[in-house]
Parts: sequence; structure tokens; C-alpha cells
Amino acid sequence: MLDINAQGKEFPEFKFEIERCKIKELCMAIGDDNPIFYDKKIAIKEGYTDTPAPLTFPTVINFWGYPEIWDRMIEIGVDVKRLLHASEEYEYFEPLYPGDIITGNVSVESVRSGGVMDVATFKSTYKRDGKVVLIARMKIVVMLQGE
Amino acid sequence: MALPDYNTIEEGYELPSLTKPPIEQVQLIKYAGASGDFNQIHTVPAYAKEAGLDGTITHGMLMMGILGQMISSWAGIKAVKKYSVSFKSISKPGDILIARGSVKKKYENEEGRFIDCKVHVEDKDGDIKISGKATIKFD
Repeated sequence: MLDINAQGKEFPEFKFEIERCKIKELCMAIGDDNPIFYDKKIAIKEGYTDTPAPLTFPTVINFWGYPEIWDRMIEIGVDVKRLLHASEEYEYFEPLYPGDIITGNVSVESVRSGGVMDVATFKSTYKRDGKVVLIARMKIVVMLQGE
Repeated sequence: MALPDYNTIEEGYELPSLTKPPIEQVQLIKYAGASGDFNQIHTVPAYAKEAGLDGTITHGMLMMGILGQMISSWAGIKAVKKYSVSFKSISKPGDILIARGSVKKKYENEEGRFIDCKVHVEDKDGDIKISGKATIKFD
């Protein structure tokens, strides 16, 4: 059962450096062969300052930069074995590039406990040099076991 | 790779679709390492069976990545201002996934000219795996 009082809770800040190879690795796993992700010269020709991070790169920042999120979820009562990812949302302000040092802040934006399921939304705010570059929201659902 | 002229886009305009090769187990292993999502329901068949599944299932975020590939192949990275999906049904190794999108709304405001696109991933039987929305800004 989710702790309703967890709403508004902010987890400790973390830092993550975006590595060129991690961008390539994610694109290769997706099977995205767009050269802007692999070749700096082509990326520059297309108007970027370097090979940009692909649209779903924030998942790398969270899993690799803040693996403690699982423990934090357990602490607020999420049964991670029965967790379903309901939705994921990104708001982009600036492209992310290799070498960027990103500061991440994860908070519990909302918590709802219904009859058959708990629903929680986690908000991640990513900053570079103090400026917000991206906001991510992950909604999870935990099915409650029937008695 | 360049976006078409804003004036030539109408509501209902279809984005170039993307048909992927079948999902392979090794792709899920690569995706686990790349993303850092090591939930074994995606990589270890015995673990997935213990969890009540027939076998391993595709990472939902890999499907969002595939849909993102379709969007950025068309619009690039800078023009995409918002992108969101809901996860609808599971996908397994062997599935052929197809990413599609169409323009739902075209509008201008003080921040610029935009389109909202409805986007989704389906399998070859038309079963929707994920669906969502992307907002693209034009220069």
C-alpha cells in the first residue's frame, strides 16, 4: 500500500555525465541508425553542436544515474514486483549533448490509492548549469492483491 | 530528414511510418545494458515464466524508443518539444513492430508554430502496443 503522505516528497539530488558512447549504445539497442547520433560532423551539419541524445535518453539518466530510485520506491510502499509502467512523458527545453553534466531531482508528484490499484507519478527535473533542460514524468500502477 | 513546409501540412497528414525487423532476445539484452533496466522479465526466460508470463517481454521503453526513432527521423531532435506515451499491451521477441503517426492539430501562438501528432506502435496484426503524442515546433 502506497504511503499517501509521500506526495511532494523530494529525493536527494544526483549528477550524471552524458557520455558519447552511451548515446550510441542506446541508439544501437533501439536500432536507430540516424547518423546524427553517431557522427559529430554530420550532427553539426544538421545544426546540432554535437551528437544529440535521442528522445528517450532520460531513461538512461534515471536508471544509470539514480539506481537508488528502486529503494526509494520501496520506502514509500511500492511493491516493485507488481509495478506496471503506465505512462512516460517528456518535455524538452534544450538538446542534451556528450559531456553535459546533468543534475537530476526526482520527486513524488502525485499519489493515489484506489480500490484495486495504487497510482503514483514521479517527476524528474534535469538541469544543466542551473537551467532546466528537460522534465520527465513517469506514472506507475501497482495492482493491489485481492483478499 | 527535413521537416516539410509548415503550410503544406494539414490535419491528418501522415508521418513516414517505420517498420522494424522482428524484436530479438539479444536486442532486449542490449537494451537492458544500454538503458540500465535490468528487470529480468525482459532478459531471462525462466524468470519471466516465474512471473507468470509465457516468456520474456519487450521493454516498454524500447518501444517508446522505436516510436521516438520514427519521430526524430522526421523532425530531428531540436524541434520535438513534448513526447509522451501510454503503455497498452506487451510485446515479445519475434514481434514485428510498426511505428506510425499523424498530425492531429496545427496551431500558432506567441511561442511559435506547432503541430501535435498522434503516434503509436502496433504489431503486424494491428494490436496497439503503445500510443501517445508528440508536439513539434516549426521555425
